[in-house]
Amino acid sequence: MSCQYCGIQPNSVNDISKESEQLAKVDPKDLMPLPAPYDGDEYRPSIAQLKDSSREAHPASATLDGVLAAGAPEPKTKEEEDKIVQQFISGLRKLFTKENNWTFLQPLTLSMEHCARCQTCVDNCPVYEASGWNEIYRPTYRSEILRRLYFKYVRPGNKLLTKFQNNDIELNYTLIARLYELAYRCTLCRRCAQSCPVGVDNGLITHDLRKLFSQELGWAPKELHEKGTVQQLTVGSSTGMNSVVVKDNIEFIDEDISERVGWEVKTPWDVEGADVMLIENAGEFLAWPENHGCTAVILNKAGINWTMSSEIAGYDGVNYGLFYDDVQLARVATRHFQIAKDLGVKKIVMGECGHEHKALATIADRVGVDLAPRESILTLLADIVKSGKLKLDPSRNDFAITLHDPCNTVRNLGIVQPQRDVLKLIAPKFREMTPHGIHNYCCGGGSGFAIMSGNNFEDWRNLVSSRKKFAQVLNAFGDEDLNTDETKKYICAPCSNCKGALRDMLEFYGAKEKSGIYYGGLVELVVNAMPDTAEPLLDWDMM
Amino acid sequence: MSALHGLVYLSVLIFLVACVARAVRIARAPMHLRWELQPVPHEKPGKSMYETVDYWEKTLEKNHFGELAVMIPEILLLRGVWEHNRSLWFPSFALHFGLYLLIGNMGLVLVIAIMALSGVEVGTGFGLLLTNAIKAVAIVGGGLGTIGSILMLIKRATDDGLSKFATPSHFFNLVHLGAIYVTVLLWALLDPSFVVNLSALYAGLLTLNAIPALSTIAMVHVAVVLLFFVYLPFTHMTHFFTKYFTYHSVRWETTPNVKGGKVEKNIIKNVTQPVTWAAPHIGADGKKTWVDLVSGTGEVKKEKEA
Repeated sequence: MSCQYCGIQPNSVNDISKESEQLAKVDPKDLMPLPAPYDGDEYRPSIAQLKDSSREAHPASATLDGVLAAGAPEPKTKEEEDKIVQQFISGLRKLFTKENNWTFLQPLTLSMEHCARCQTCVDNCPVYEASGWNEIYRPTYRSEILRRLYFKYVRPGNKLLTKFQNNDIELNYTLIARLYELAYRCTLCRRCAQSCPVGVDNGLITHDLRKLFSQELGWAPKELHEKGTVQQLTVGSSTGMNSVVVKDNIEFIDEDISERVGWEVKTPWDVEGADVMLIENAGEFLAWPENHGCTAVILNKAGINWTMSSEIAGYDGVNYGLFYDDVQLARVATRHFQIAKDLGVKKIVMGECGHEHKALATIADRVGVDLAPRESILTLLADIVKSGKLKLDPSRNDFAITLHDPCNTVRNLGIVQPQRDVLKLIAPKFREMTPHGIHNYCCGGGSGFAIMSGNNFEDWRNLVSSRKKFAQVLNAFGDEDLNTDETKKYICAPCSNCKGALRDMLEFYGAKEKSGIYYGGLVELVVNAMPDTAEPLLDWDMM
Repeated sequence: MSALHGLVYLSVLIFLVACVARAVRIARAPMHLRWELQPVPHEKPGKSMYETVDYWEKTLEKNHFGELAVMIPEILLLRGVWEHNRSLWFPSFALHFGLYLLIGNMGLVLVIAIMALSGVEVGTGFGLLLTNAIKAVAIVGGGLGTIGSILMLIKRATDDGLSKFATPSHFFNLVHLGAIYVTVLLWALLDPSFVVNLSALYAGLLTLNAIPALSTIAMVHVAVVLLFFVYLPFTHMTHFFTKYFTYHSVRWETTPNVKGGKVEKNIIKNVTQPVTWAAPHIGADGKKTWVDLVSGTGEVKKEKEA
């Protein structure tokens, strides 16, 4: 290992089980350079040191890279430590049984057994690149650890042959605690999987590793589990809003947007037999209320018979189970489908939320039967805009606009064109990022990271996992003056979690004040282009 | 029938049975949740089903040639490696393409062996053309593969990323493949009757008649090839056929769940299995099925109590 004051990297895969002060450390000097005017040292600060109390609570996890996103519980006795090791082995074996993991057994086995270790995938990982190629963030690093454990404990065969073909690894609590933490250093963007010639998917391996911890050991970040899926299933939303509170909030949003557009906007609730049941990420109602307001304006203007549901989980499209737990995923999705069935709606329309798209449209397509059809708001929006039902004046969006492609909507579902069709009609200064579409880079907030900010994880996210996206944004606006906030630049990000990550990223680098870079959704741009509103919707001072 | 006959047939049998067993094990895994990844080439180019309003009411066009357009350059030219790992491309391409040429050559040898057995003159005309082609392909394939094996060995040993993840078998596999290439190359270059002897070997194997005496280098070549047949099905090198599953059954598997469909039947089979995950929030007891665990509000109450 290199010196403790500089970047630290493991020398080999097996270093993960060897006790050391720290397995890896991100050195600011190693970070991927950013384009001007963000190329100075002040834009590559150090990640904050963990507080002593955090280190004491999760000492083993803290030795991964000095960052804590999840933090494994610390055993108090040797017996407890041994028990964790045994539970881990038990979970590992269950991951490869059809009863417990029919959900992903086939793709997981394929990825475990056929990797050529050619490293063709690694340069496609924005986390690995942005970190300055730190070994522990190499997409194959955690996969290789799980692969060695798989061949040792699940398909052991002849010991010598197993070592010959797959190398050995020592399983101990240190490895488990670090591996748990390491499972939360990948955004599950699956960019690496796109490039694998054999079809191995490191994103899937990380996903199933998280499942092992959650479903067998009961370990998951509190933002995803306690405050996430559990709160959504018990209270109604991961935001903590129950149906009374959410209705109040929506009423307020309706009043506000009515004032801003100059006509009455009302959100319908629990309309039986509606053509469309809209399920948005409820985080929007608190963080970006105009997103719901604009969606309501557009649906009403287009004459669509739509509704929202006030049932538990019916007004919150998030499904954090997608990121860490198949049972929780199925519970949330089953609620969504049941509500749609009870209301007798013709289809569910998923709001501007990427992981809701993936969870509800594709993954959950096989968790039950007789499911309501699901459609993306982006697809519906393009249909509405192209139909001419809305009067639009693109000159009202006469500022630089670029588009962020949320991984879950684009790389997974292939929804690439509708949002561009809309922008073509309403955004005269639209420009693409490079690369874009299905080859986009993650915002850095994928797989739940956008809502995880405990300890010093937010620093890591802004400095490492969002860094590639920030560079892309700067390059997209490269023809604009980035040294002034006078010329406004807008990142259109039709996804709640992406917006959360972009918000933190822009704030971290001071990009709003320095360069006039703002972010928001797509529906806001559509309403901003409506010439008959009382005032333009976008208010830069309020953004 | 000689011992060599027995060894060849046993090796091929082991190869086939082990490959089929692996394929069956993968194919018989339960239907998984959808995990597709763009680009999905059987969708109309640039047209995911999710880009169409009310797509479930419409007949979506499928483009099966799209899949071939992806797979052919991927398999033959290693397009993925070319695009994403350029420095590895030539060593890997040479290693793989050498093998493709030698496999193709086996077909040509089979043709000339059958011609010879049928009494067709192989020393003139088409037979001569075929003879020359077999020799040329063996030299090019063996040469290319030898270069690929050597370059890959150097890469494996010296490239930081590759060496950190290398296992002893990676080096063994490359040496083994290298041995196949070098021996066929030497056999083709040193033996003036290379094609005659090779086709006689095939003819002997096909008819169970005596196999002519082979040179030492030829015997070594046959031995390393047979060892490869026996060894390959138990390694990650089976990706030559499991790739079918990673692409067709995972990345490009987009079959929607429609009422009364095959997907629906498989879902019912899957969700009625008992679950044994131990985390308290799952609520599993080894008897409760997925349906029991995810439906209703019982599990939500458990969360509250926990």
